Amino acid sequence: MTVFDASELVGDLKVSLDVDVLVGAYPDRDGPPGTPRSVLDALAAHGIGAGAVASLRAALFDVRSGNDEVLALGSAVVPVGAVDLRDPIGAVREIDRLAEAGVRAIRLFPDEQGVEAGFPSVRHVARKAAGLGLVVLTGGDVRRFWQPFAGLDAKVVFLDTHFYHLGDFLVVAADEPGFHTSTRLLNSPDALETVPADRLLYGSRTPHYEPVVPLLRLATSGLKPEELAAVAGGNARRLLG
Amino acid sequence: MIIDVHAHWGPWFFTMDVAGANLSAMNRFGIGLSIVSATEAVIYDAPAGNRALAAWLETQPRHLGYVTVNPRRPADAERDLRAYLPTGRFVGVKIHTDYTGSPVSSPQTREALAMVAQAGVPALVHTWGATVLDLAQACLDTPGLRVIAGHMGADGYAHAIEAANACDRLFLEPCYSHAPAGRVARVAAAVDPARLLFGTDSTLIDPASAFGAVAAAGLDAETAELVAWRNAARLFGLDITA
Repeated sequence: MTVFDASELVGDLKVSLDVDVLVGAYPDRDGPPGTPRSVLDALAAHGIGAGAVASLRAALFDVRSGNDEVLALGSAVVPVGAVDLRDPIGAVREIDRLAEAGVRAIRLFPDEQGVEAGFPSVRHVARKAAGLGLVVLTGGDVRRFWQPFAGLDAKVVFLDTHFYHLGDFLVVAADEPGFHTSTRLLNSPDALETVPADRLLYGSRTPHYEPVVPLLRLATSGLKPEELAAVAGGNARRLLG
Repeated sequence: MIIDVHAHWGPWFFTMDVAGANLSAMNRFGIGLSIVSATEAVIYDAPAGNRALAAWLETQPRHLGYVTVNPRRPADAERDLRAYLPTGRFVGVKIHTDYTGSPVSSPQTREALAMVAQAGVPALVHTWGATVLDLAQACLDTPGLRVIAGHMGADGYAHAIEAANACDRLFLEPCYSHAPAGRVARVAAAVDPARLLFGTDSTLIDPASAFGAVAAAGLDAETAELVAWRNAARLFGLDITA
């Protein structure tokens, strides 16, 4: 054990559901291969009970086969369907297919797909998801990506909320009861303590980010035990089942 | 024992009231000593921030200071270095290239770094992406200069490896608000462990971020001790034993 041992600080905090997990690899990065087995092992190694898992194959290349890969993982994960915002027509077709298969959440990858918040496809997909009551997990800058979801009574988890932009999230979330944020980049000394605990979900982006960082920040936060339980999976279960 | 070589004192431009929690955060993560720059000096007015920090440091046994230098204001820099380094409470120089609009490769920053080398203290320089390579070049071109690449290039950590291997007077510290998988482990595997330091960017970023990123790297005991404090103590000439 070295001075940089995190286990004692994390203590007995257990995350029951991580809202930001991927299978697959980024072809433009030297990251891990993200095989389903290795991803599940990484979650288990950090005491994370389950993940809301989406497929990079679906996000970057072929939505149908990528999403089927996630659906085949069974009860070990909460399946999240990826859609391709570069193809709004195909995206809503895939959303219908996923909803019929019982999927309760879709995930958007605007940065990876080179899609901006003002593109018509984002609003089109947002309307479709909100109409079906699906939860949307979305990447992208929250200062821009709140707009396509506004006024739809949408349930959204912003996965890339950086603490630099937390004020913007808070002011839009005050008007949108369905807006939530991941903890992943909220690592200023008071960010987790500033967001209403019922709007906050533990997210790690395993295996492409270090899960211990948001875990350690949450474990050492000023949240009360019931708030910790909500952030560590209670809120995610409420949204995703 | 951990020495945090990249920390701050003073308010930020967000609604963020965290100064009171700073010491407890240091205690939580085993940070015994923190080397800080004044936020006012980094972001807006170097002389005013340095002056305020000097007064504050007089009452702080667990903090040492960086004299912040704005490369666009060499006369201020020269005066502040002369005033504050001899106090013993300031042990290095901080240069933020973005807030001062002074890239590492700019003439004014290279001149400022020459001034720092002359003063004989290390400089913590903000680096992002490939700019860490410019810092390595400045280091090679400036005899006696010792520099810490702040954030070790952030997302450009592959460049930081190249930079550290190019100049043996260039040190790396890891703080970054993102935690890409394997970032610290890859750097530690490719760079002389004598050149690795620990920094948090506190009070902007909670120490959990850098601590967790280093914990994830699973450093061996000897390397961990070098990163935690031994390298920093040697670099800054601190009389510290574990």
